[in-house]
Amino acid sequence: MIAVLGLVVGVVVGLLVRPEVPVAVEPYLPIAVVAALDAVFGGLRAMLDGIFDDKVFVVSFLSNVVVAALIVFLGDELGVGAQLSTGVVVVLGIRIFSNAAAIRRHVFRA
Amino acid sequence: MSEERHHGYAGPRGSGDGPDHRLRKELPEERPATAPEPQAPEQDAPPTVTGRQRLVQSLWPPRASRAQLIVALLLFGLGFGLAVQVASHSAGDTALRGARQEDLVRILDELDDRTARLEEEQQALEDQRSELENSSDQAEEARRQTLAKERQLGVLAGTVPAEGPGIEVTVEDPRKAVGPDKLLDAVQELRAAGAEAIELNGVRVVASTYLTARPDTGAGVSVDGKKISAPYRFKVIGKPQDLEPALNIPGGVVQTLEKEQATVVVERRTKIVVDALRAAKRPDYARSSAR
Repeated sequence: MIAVLGLVVGVVVGLLVRPEVPVAVEPYLPIAVVAALDAVFGGLRAMLDGIFDDKVFVVSFLSNVVVAALIVFLGDELGVGAQLSTGVVVVLGIRIFSNAAAIRRHVFRA
Repeated sequence: MSEERHHGYAGPRGSGDGPDHRLRKELPEERPATAPEPQAPEQDAPPTVTGRQRLVQSLWPPRASRAQLIVALLLFGLGFGLAVQVASHSAGDTALRGARQEDLVRILDELDDRTARLEEEQQALEDQRSELENSSDQAEEARRQTLAKERQLGVLAGTVPAEGPGIEVTVEDPRKAVGPDKLLDAVQELRAAGAEAIELNGVRVVASTYLTARPDTGAGVSVDGKKISAPYRFKVIGKPQDLEPALNIPGGVVQTLEKEQATVVVERRTKIVVDALRAAKRPDYARSSAR
């Protein structure tokens, strides 16, 4: 419950404050958000499976974000940034979908 | 389905019993009696708690455990980043903010190309416009000259009224001795003195004008077929200082007429209006051989 509240508060604060995104971070923020979404779905599924562990969640969340940003950074350095970020988004999207399918089976039994 | 497919989360599955199981320890253990469908097909190893129940239990009542707080912190970060990204991306004036360098270069190139194309088009249109202006200027000038020419020629041909300085000549003929030859002499003399428009008793005298004797009465004259009789009035536009002496020279028109007992009065006028008109007639046989 508190976790859900944290998400809501984060969205509200982000909308109210509207901070200027630093230029250096700008290309990585969308990918990092998608990666974090992936981690959140994974954690939700683990919780429904009864194997949730907060330490693992924290580590996976942060490593997802860092690795995604790293891949994009590397792609930018190599000159294939657009293609790599597309690939990252596709992979993360597939994972989000499979996790969502598992969550759906738990919640709706279907 | 294997547990290793828990993407994004590789939680230990029942391995060890350290802090890994904190969440599960905090769950109110076992509410098996409430499990409505014990025959749920995907039940996990501890078959008494379904995923749905875990979800409900973790949602309510709220518990401020360390795990919940940490997850809340991370989700706060996620929500914050999400909102910031959405806001910055959907802001209208920063549509290019998220674009990559090569995209920006491409967009810039396209804009340059477009600018060049539009400038070429503008140049072509401006050329066209100046050309049209020139040609319409020329056409206007030609039209003006044509109009001026038409007015000049109209004065000569008698198709337009004319006015200007000139003289008025009145010939009284009590003995009816003035014939067409005398009047023609007068007209010729006026023309030789530079008369530009002549009207004789309401008939415009032009190049094709002819004067004949009236066959019916023996007196009077017909001008272009129109019968006129004394007194004969000439209205002449021209330089009065030339016209009047031309008539009055010794042995000239005036003396000749007076020999026939006619009285001639010549008056200078600063403004003579010749408003008798002659219809422009299209020639039947003569064609312009110019060009």
